Amino acid sequence: MKKFLIFVFVLSLSVGLLQGQDLSLKVKSEKVSMKIGQTVQLEATVVDAAGKKIADRDYIFYSTNSSALSVVDSTGVATAMRHGEYDVIVISPGAPQLRSNITVTVQAAAIAKVDFGVIPKNIYAGINLPLKLTVTDKAGFERPERIVELTSSNEDVVAIAPFDKLIIKEKGKAKITAKIDGVTETLDINVIDNPIAKILLKSDMVEGRSGDVFTLTALAVDKNGNEIKDAPINYSFTGESFDVSAAPSGIITKEGKFAADAPGLYVLNATCGSAAASVTVQANSRNISRKIDLVGQGSVNNKHTSDLWVWEGVDGKDYAVTGTWGADGTAYFWDVTDPAGIELIDSVKVDARTVNDVKVSEDGRVAVISREGASNRKNGLVIIDVSNPRDAKVISEFSENLTGGVHNVFIYKNHVYALSAGRKYYSINIEDPANPRIVGEFELDTPGHSIHDVWIHDGIAYSSNWSDGVQLVDVGNGIAGGTPANPVQFASYAYPSGSNHAAFPYKDEKTGKFYVILGDEEFPYGLDPDGRKPGRAAGFLHVIDFTDLKNPKEVAWFQVPFAGSHNFWIEDDILYAAFYNGGVRVVDISGELLGDLNRQGREIAWIVPEDPDGYVANAPFTWGAQPHKGHIFYSDWNSGLWSAKLAPVVPNNTKLEEAK
Amino acid sequence: MTQFILKRNLNKSLLLLLCITFSFAASAQDYYVYVTAESEDEVALIKFDGKKATIEKTIQVGIWPAEIEGPHGINISPDGKYWYLSLAHGIPYGTLYKYSTETNEVVGSVKLGLFPASLQVSKATGLLYCVNFDLHGDMVPSTVSVVDPEEMIEIDRIETGVMPHGSRISADGMYHYSVGMMSGELFEISTTKMKVTRKLNLDGKMEEKPAMGGMDHSKMDHSKMGHAMMTEAAPMYHSAVKPTWAIPHPTNGKVYVAGNGSDEILEVDLEKWEITNRFKTGKAPYNCDVSPDGKYLVATYKGSGETGIWDLEKGEELPRVKNTRKVTHGVSISSDSKYAFISVEGIGGEPGTLDVIDIQKAKKVASVDMGKQAGGIIFWKME
Repeated sequence: MKKFLIFVFVLSLSVGLLQGQDLSLKVKSEKVSMKIGQTVQLEATVVDAAGKKIADRDYIFYSTNSSALSVVDSTGVATAMRHGEYDVIVISPGAPQLRSNITVTVQAAAIAKVDFGVIPKNIYAGINLPLKLTVTDKAGFERPERIVELTSSNEDVVAIAPFDKLIIKEKGKAKITAKIDGVTETLDINVIDNPIAKILLKSDMVEGRSGDVFTLTALAVDKNGNEIKDAPINYSFTGESFDVSAAPSGIITKEGKFAADAPGLYVLNATCGSAAASVTVQANSRNISRKIDLVGQGSVNNKHTSDLWVWEGVDGKDYAVTGTWGADGTAYFWDVTDPAGIELIDSVKVDARTVNDVKVSEDGRVAVISREGASNRKNGLVIIDVSNPRDAKVISEFSENLTGGVHNVFIYKNHVYALSAGRKYYSINIEDPANPRIVGEFELDTPGHSIHDVWIHDGIAYSSNWSDGVQLVDVGNGIAGGTPANPVQFASYAYPSGSNHAAFPYKDEKTGKFYVILGDEEFPYGLDPDGRKPGRAAGFLHVIDFTDLKNPKEVAWFQVPFAGSHNFWIEDDILYAAFYNGGVRVVDISGELLGDLNRQGREIAWIVPEDPDGYVANAPFTWGAQPHKGHIFYSDWNSGLWSAKLAPVVPNNTKLEEAK
Repeated sequence: MTQFILKRNLNKSLLLLLCITFSFAASAQDYYVYVTAESEDEVALIKFDGKKATIEKTIQVGIWPAEIEGPHGINISPDGKYWYLSLAHGIPYGTLYKYSTETNEVVGSVKLGLFPASLQVSKATGLLYCVNFDLHGDMVPSTVSVVDPEEMIEIDRIETGVMPHGSRISADGMYHYSVGMMSGELFEISTTKMKVTRKLNLDGKMEEKPAMGGMDHSKMDHSKMGHAMMTEAAPMYHSAVKPTWAIPHPTNGKVYVAGNGSDEILEVDLEKWEITNRFKTGKAPYNCDVSPDGKYLVATYKGSGETGIWDLEKGEELPRVKNTRKVTHGVSISSDSKYAFISVEGIGGEPGTLDVIDIQKAKKVASVDMGKQAGGIIFWKME
C-alpha cells in the first residue's frame, strides 16, 4: 500500500510537471496595427497542449517604449502615442513562467504641412538660398525623415539644387512648390536685380600668427556706392601652407572672422552673387613653444592622489595640500617653498575613503577638505586650521545636508560652497569655522539634474552641471542681486555631449572678451579589468564666449588626441590644463579665441609625470594643475605632487639653445 | 558466460565509481559568493572550500576610473546564469548592470532611480525589483523599480516609503517586501500586479492620525518613537525603528525586519499583518537572511561588528560571532543552510572582509580580505 501511494504521488508530480511543460502563452495577434490616439485591448491566454485556456493566470503587459506606446500593466490596454514599431512583452507569472511578445505598428499620421522657414525680404539674383523645410504630420510630430519634392515654376529664375537649396538666377517671379503625400505648399519668390556692384573687403590685419583672428569687414555697395545693408555675403578661404607637409587649414565664420591653423598665405573671400572680393593675409608661425623643466616631486605612491591647492602661508612660505582617492581619507600638507625640494610636513586623516577636493581660504588660514566613503555614511566636509601647515589641526566636521558625499568645494569670502550628493551646492558660512552654518543653496530644477563642480570668482559661482552645462550664479558680485544666502542664476550654456565637468572664467583685457572655459570628463575606453594598468580619458576644453551673457557662443576648443581633460587654471593669458594620461598642457590663450587652439600651435609646452615607482608605474593620470609664483604645480593620480617650470619666453629670431 | 562476468564486473566498477564520486562530492564542497566593494568599485567572486576562503576573481565595475560609482546591491538570476548589480552613485541616477556568471562580463544595463540598492528577480514573474534607496535625498517617498532583465528595460516604478531598502521576495516569487528606512514602514508589493498591496508602520504610528495637540507629552518615552521634524515645507519623519532589511521566511508565513534604530528583529505575521514578536539584538542590526531550511535567521550587527544567529524554533540567539572588522554589513546563507557569508565594511583605508560563519557552531571558520567597504553580498552556488 505504501509503495502504491508513493507511486501515485510520483505519478501525480510527473503529470503536473508534464502539464506545466505543455503550457504555452498565446497572444491573440502577434502583429497589431494601431493609429495614433487609438486604444486597443491586447489579449493573451495561457493554454494547455490541447489548446484549452488555463484559468486563474495573471498577465503582465509592458511596452518596450512606453513614451510612444503606453500599455497598462495587467490589463493589456494599449494606447498609441507616436508612430513607429514597438514590442509589447507579455508575461504570465507562475510555474511555469511564460513569455510572449506582440509587435505593434503605430501608423504615422498623414502629413499636415510643410514649412519653408524664414525667407529674406529681398531676394537678389545670383545668390543661393538654402531652405529650412519642416514637415509636420497631423499628430503634430515633425517628420524629418520624409523627403519633400521641390519644383520651380520657372527654372530660369529659380532652380532647385540638392539639399533643399534654391539657386536664384535672374530677376523675375517663380513659384516654388513643395509636395509630399498629396500635401502641397507654395512659396512665391520675387527675384529682384542684384544691386551689388562690388564688395569692399578689408581685414583688420594683413599679417598675424596662426590662431590669431583676422576680422573681415565686407561692404556691399551698388553702382552709386551706396551700401546694401541686407546683402547676403558668404565668406570662404583658400590657402597655401608654408610647410609642404602641412595642409592649409583654418576656420572662417559667417560673420567674417578667420583663424589659420597652419602658417601660410590665405586668400579670404567675400561673395554675393557675381560680386566678389578677396584679401590675402599671412599667418606666420605662432612660435610660442617654450621649454618646460621638471623641478621636483613629492611622491605619493601607496595610494591615489586627487586634487591640489597651493598657497602662500601666513608665514610667507609656500605650501600645498593634496587629497587622496579611494584610500584612507588622508590629506597631505607640503612645504613647496623650494619647488625642487617638496617636503611632506603633515597629514590629516579623516573617516573617509576619498578626499576628492581640497581648498584653502584667501588668507591662508583655513583649509576645507571633502569627504566621501565615511564609515557611517555621513560624509560632508572637514575644516582644518592651516595657519601652521606643519601642524594642521581639524577645527570642525560638518555633514548637515551633505551626507551623500561632497565631491567638490570652494572657499570664497568666509563661505564654503560645497556640493551635496552631486545634486546641488550649499553656501556655508565659516566666519566661525568651529560652527559652520548653511546660509543658502543652489539647485537646478531640470529633470535628472546633477552637478560636478563649483568655482567662485569675483562673486560669481561657475557650476559645472554635466548635461545642464555651466551655470553662472551671482553669490555676491551684484550683477543679479545675489548673495551667498540668495544665489541668483543669470546665465548658462550647455553643449550636446553633456560632459561638463569643470569651468574657469577668463577675461581677455586686450579684446574685452569674456570667456568661460568648460572642461569635459569622459572615459569612453572603459576600465582595465585588473585595475592596475594605465587609464585613458577623452573629452576636451570648450571655449565659450560669454561677452554677451544672453547669447553665449562656443567659439573655440582645445583637444589633446587620445587624452582627456580634467581640472585646469588660467593665469596671465595662459591656460594650465591637466589632461589625465596627457599630463599638463600649457596653452597660450591670449587674444581673441576661435577654432582649434591646438592645431593653431597655441600649445606652449607639455609635461607628463611618469614615475616608475608610481602607484601604477609609468601611468600618468594628471588630476589638476596650478601656477604659483612662477612654477607649475600639478597632482597626479598615480604619483603625487609635482612641480615644473616654464623656460623664459624666447625672443624672436633667437634659437632655443641660445636661450638656455 | 564471459559476457555475464564482464557485465557484472562493469556494474561493480560503475557502482564503485559512483560511490567515489559521491564521497568526493560530500567531502569537497565548494561555495561561491559575490561581494561588492562599494568604495573600490569592485566585485569579488569568493570561493570557500569548507576551510579556506579565497578570492577567485576581482571584477572592476563602473565606467569612471576617477569617480566612485558605488556597487551596492547584488543578486543572482534564478537560473544562476547572471548576476545583477546596482551602481548607486550616478549623475544623478544609478544604474543596474547585468553580468554573465560564466564570463563576469557586462551583458546589459539600464538607468534606474536615485541610489538603487537591494534587488532580486522574482521566480514567478522573471522581473527584477530594485529599491531606489535615495539615501541622501530629501525625505520624500521613493520607489521600487521593476525591470525586465531579459530586455534590461525599466517597466515601472512603484512608490513606497522614504529611503526604501532591504528588499527580498517571497519563496514563491509572488510578493516583494521592502522597508522605508526613514518612514519606518514595511511594504508588500504584489510582483504580478506591480502594486503595493499592504504597508505596515513599524513604529506603531497609525495612518492618518490627527495632530497631537493638547496632549501631555511630558511622560512619553520619546526614544521609542519616531520623530517628525516640522519644517515649513513638510513634516520630516525619522523612524525610531529605522528598518533596514526585510526577509520573508521560506515557509512559516513571517517576514523578519531588521530594526536598525531599535536594536531588534521584528517578526511580522503575514496573515495578521502585524508585529507578533520582537527579538532584542546587538547594536544596529542591518541586514538579515533566513537559512533555506527555515531554522535560522542570521543578522548583521553593524554597530557592534558582530553577527547574530537566531534559532527561530526556540526564539533564542546563539552566541554572537565577532566579525573580523568593524561595520558588519551584509549576509547571505548557503543553499545547504550550513554557512552564513558576512560582508564587513571596515573603516577608511582598511580592506573589506568576507567572514564565513558555521551557523550551527556559531563560529567564524574563514575570512578573506577584499576591496574597501564590502557591502552587497549574494551566495551563488555550491559545486
